[in-house]
Order: sequence, then C-alpha cells, then structure tokens
Amino acid sequence: MPEVAIIGVGCTNFRGRHPDKTYFELAFDAAKAAFEDAGIDKADVGAAVYGIYNDFFQRQYQPDAFVHDYLGLPPIPAVRVNTGGATGGSALRIGYAEVASGLYDIVLVLGVEKCADCFDYFTKNPVPEVLRAILYTSDMTYDNPIGRTAASGFALAVLAHMQKYGGPTEEQMAKVSVKNHGNALKNPRAQSGMKITVDDVLKSPKIVDPFKRLDNCLYTEGAAAVVLASRRKVAELHPKKPPIWITGLGAALDWAFPGNRESIAEFHGCRLATKKSYDMAGITDPLEQFDLAELHDAFTGTELMSYEDCMFCEPGEGGRLIDDGTVWPGGKLPVNLSGGLIGCGHAVGATGLMQTSEIVWQLRHEAGARQAPNARRGLVQSIGGTLCAWTVSLVLERMD
Amino acid sequence: MATSKKDAFYRYHAARLRLPEDKLRPIYDDELDGKKKPDDPFEVPDKMDVFFKYSYGGQSRFFREIFHHERLLGAKCPACGKVYCPPRSVCPRCYEKTEWVNLPGTGKVVAFTIQHYSTSAFVKKVPFLVAYVQLDGADFLMMANIEMDDVTKAKPGMPVKVAYRPEKSGSITDIYFEPLAD
Repeated sequence: MPEVAIIGVGCTNFRGRHPDKTYFELAFDAAKAAFEDAGIDKADVGAAVYGIYNDFFQRQYQPDAFVHDYLGLPPIPAVRVNTGGATGGSALRIGYAEVASGLYDIVLVLGVEKCADCFDYFTKNPVPEVLRAILYTSDMTYDNPIGRTAASGFALAVLAHMQKYGGPTEEQMAKVSVKNHGNALKNPRAQSGMKITVDDVLKSPKIVDPFKRLDNCLYTEGAAAVVLASRRKVAELHPKKPPIWITGLGAALDWAFPGNRESIAEFHGCRLATKKSYDMAGITDPLEQFDLAELHDAFTGTELMSYEDCMFCEPGEGGRLIDDGTVWPGGKLPVNLSGGLIGCGHAVGATGLMQTSEIVWQLRHEAGARQAPNARRGLVQSIGGTLCAWTVSLVLERMD
Repeated sequence: MATSKKDAFYRYHAARLRLPEDKLRPIYDDELDGKKKPDDPFEVPDKMDVFFKYSYGGQSRFFREIFHHERLLGAKCPACGKVYCPPRSVCPRCYEKTEWVNLPGTGKVVAFTIQHYSTSAFVKKVPFLVAYVQLDGADFLMMANIEMDDVTKAKPGMPVKVAYRPEKSGSITDIYFEPLAD
C-alpha cells in the first residue's frame, strides 16, 4: 500500500505575463485553490515545500520566505527547492519524503514563477532578458560566456540523437508542436492553444537548429499547488474526492557538464530515474500500464527523446509514436493532454506541479473536454538543467 | 506630470540603470502622465547587479596560460589517466589531484547548432555556432564557439583547432575554435 496521496490541487492560469500579480500573489491563488480542493484549512498543514526556479524572475533572492508569509503559514517549517525545469517535480519529491518519513501528515507543495518582469530595453521585449537571467544558472565560467541558451543545449542533444539514430525528423518534431498546441485548446488554463499545421511549424522562424519558434515552449507565469497527505491522514479525513496515490518515484542528477557523460545522444540520468519509479510502482510495460502521461516538452525534439527514455519504445524509435497516433488524444498512451509546456506553458517552478495537477484531474475524471476515458494511472516527467541534468519521475494512481 | 518631473524620472532611472534615456522612453509615459487607473499594475524600471573580483582558484593556471602564452592545457588524473578540458583541479571519479598537461589544440566537432536567437547579451552576434568539441588528448567534450565565415558550412565530425583572440579579457571567450584548413 502506498504511503502518500495527493488530496488537493490548485493551479492558476498559465499566461505570458500576469502584470496584476506578484509571485507571492500568484502563489496565494494556487494555495487557496488547493486547500479548498482538498477540503482542508491552512491550519491543517504541517510543512511546506516551495518550488521556485529563478531569483531574477521574481526580482528576489530567497523568495520562498515571503511566499510563506503571504500564505499565512508561519511558523510551520518550509524549504525552497530549485532544480531548474525539474523544480516542481523535485519539490514534490521532498514533500513526499517529508510525509512518507512520518514527519508530517499534511504537506503543501507549491511551485510559482514570474519571468516577464525581466525586460530588455534595447529590443523592448522580455525574452532576451529572460534568457539572460536563465543563463546565470548555466556554468558561469565555461558555458555562460559563449552565448549558449537552454535551447541550444537541448538542440545539441537532439542533433547528436539524429546523427546516432537517424531521427527524429524535423517533420516528426513539428507534429509534437501540432499535437500539444492543439491539446491546449481544450485547457482553459493554457497559454497558447492553437490549431496549426506541420508546415506552420517548419516555416516558423529558426531559433536554434533544428528548433523553430513553434518547436519551443514559451516563457510563462503561473503557480500550481499540491496537498500531500499520509495514508493515516487519508483514512482519517475521508476526502470527498478520490485520493491519487504516488506509487512510484525516481530521481537523478546527471553530470551538469554533459561533456562528462558517456553520450549526449540519450538522457541516461532520465532513463535511470524513470526506471526507478517504474520498479517502485511495478511498471514493466509502460505503454500498456499507463493511461496517459505528462512529459516535459520544453522542446518538441526532447518530447520524442522522452518517449525513449520513458521506455515507451526502443532508443531511436520515438518518432514512430508521433507518426502512428500512439501519443495523440484517443491513442494508446496520450501524452500532454494539458498541452504540455508547449501548449499550456512553462512557468518553471510551477510546471511539474501543473503537470501533476493535470494527471490528478484526469484520474479523478474532472478534466472536461480533454478527459482521457477511464484513466486510472498516469506518469509525470519533470526534467531540467543543461541537457536534462535533473529528472524526477512520478507514477500516480487511483486505487479506489 | 509636469515635464520637469517626468524628465527627472527618466534621468534618474537612466543613470541608475546605466541605460541610454531614450531606451526607457516612452514606456512609462502613461503612468507619469496620470493616465493609469488606481488599480492598474504600477511598473517601474529596476535592475539587479553585483560586481565581482572573481578568482578561478585551482583552475587559474588554465586561464593564465591562455591569457599570457596562448597555450591550451588539460588536467590529467594520475590514477585513471583521464584528461579534462575544461580542467578540474581534482578528478571527480578518483578524487586524485590532477596534473597539468599540454593539449595540441586540435579536435573534432561532435555536435553543433546554429544560434539564430540568443540572450540580450548576444542578440547582435547571431547567427553563431555553439558546439561540443572532442579535443585531441582529452577524454570529455568541451562546449565552445566555432567561428567561420559561413556558418551553414559547418559539419559534424569537422576537424577544428583552437584560436586565440588578440585582445584578451581573461575569460573563456579568449579562445574559440575554427575549422582546421585541409
């Protein structure tokens, strides 16, 4: 029997900018929604874990302390987690450990991120300055000074994968963009739902080869919160909504200088973390055993690589699953029904918890127009850092 | 707002942020002219920065050799024999102190990408190349810029050699790679 359940979730709209909210105000909205969803009072919370990525994005170092204050949670303990794009998943992992260890019966895990208050006055556009803020989290001595971006790191991995395996093709990558932008049309929280074609993606401006603009996720502001409860507490509370159990959890931090890895054509750490979560949950045939998955599609090519790292197929075969319909809505294993990072958005610290919220809604059958029929078990993949340094993999299940 | 007060606002922030005043104008005019509603978002210019006198610590010799002598060094583990470039003062695999070795400065491109867009610090430089280079005499990959007249002619597996900028800053950008003439 699993030890930790999700009893409540809350997620703000994901938008390019929320000029009417600060980071702590966004956090408040998500926390309040999660407490209401769980049917608990903030006084029931034993501890909090905050996933917040970039201090420049909030214009504040140690923003977690101020979030905690605005949520009215003092003096219960709280910690902040930052593992790049995987911040949300990592926050959930720490929350899981705090509950499973018996330290606390109820833990709030909350991710929040601003970004578009960063602003480049020369181009009158936030994006170049957002990228500059992100590059302070790459290695400052060897990598930052050469002008690389998060996109070029992942582009190098996808290109190395193409050289080694002959794929994915740019058309297959474009199909991921079509799918995820399309899925987002059914998600009212999503930032960029769009009906587009493969041609639209291929003809969009080049960003970093082989990625065009529509192969990339956008920068997003938002917050998402998850309330975790111990098995004992779930039995005591009898929550109205079915608890969603965390039955598998795996994590890894690979070499952050990817030049030190055996290969940059696969994400070895990601594969190990995923395998660990599968072993814990008893997953031996993911394509059969999962009803849906939310994977970290910061870039189309990396979603395709993730099909391989998550063992939906053999290495080098990721492109086939987008061609044959497997990962589309109605397919055998729909991926990113929320729209993913490309369609719903990438509010970095909140992203892993937005993905988790989506799986929770799907498993409760509350996902409305985008509901996967009879969903009982789902996968969340949260990755981040240079060429997928961090991975957190979570298996979520409904057991009633 | 009276013109002098408005000018004072722009002048103050331009000086504080070290930005040309015309880059700030007219972004804040609606606010300064009192055209915003009481509960509209109130936005102001700001900046976060810190000055450093940064030490490269145990990697100092690597940067000093580039800066003064245009020589490329690697760091070799006496236990496992692996050579690191970027260098490391200890081998993370064996926990042994590494020894400096000379590298020939040649290598080949393992993977490269063309940046058509980059951060605000680099937008004027596009398009430019970012690559993983396998250096001869080293065991791991180094992320580096490759400079060539026509970036579309770059190829995986392309042989490259290190090049040194005539005017050096003491940072890793004192070196870059260029195609090895065949």
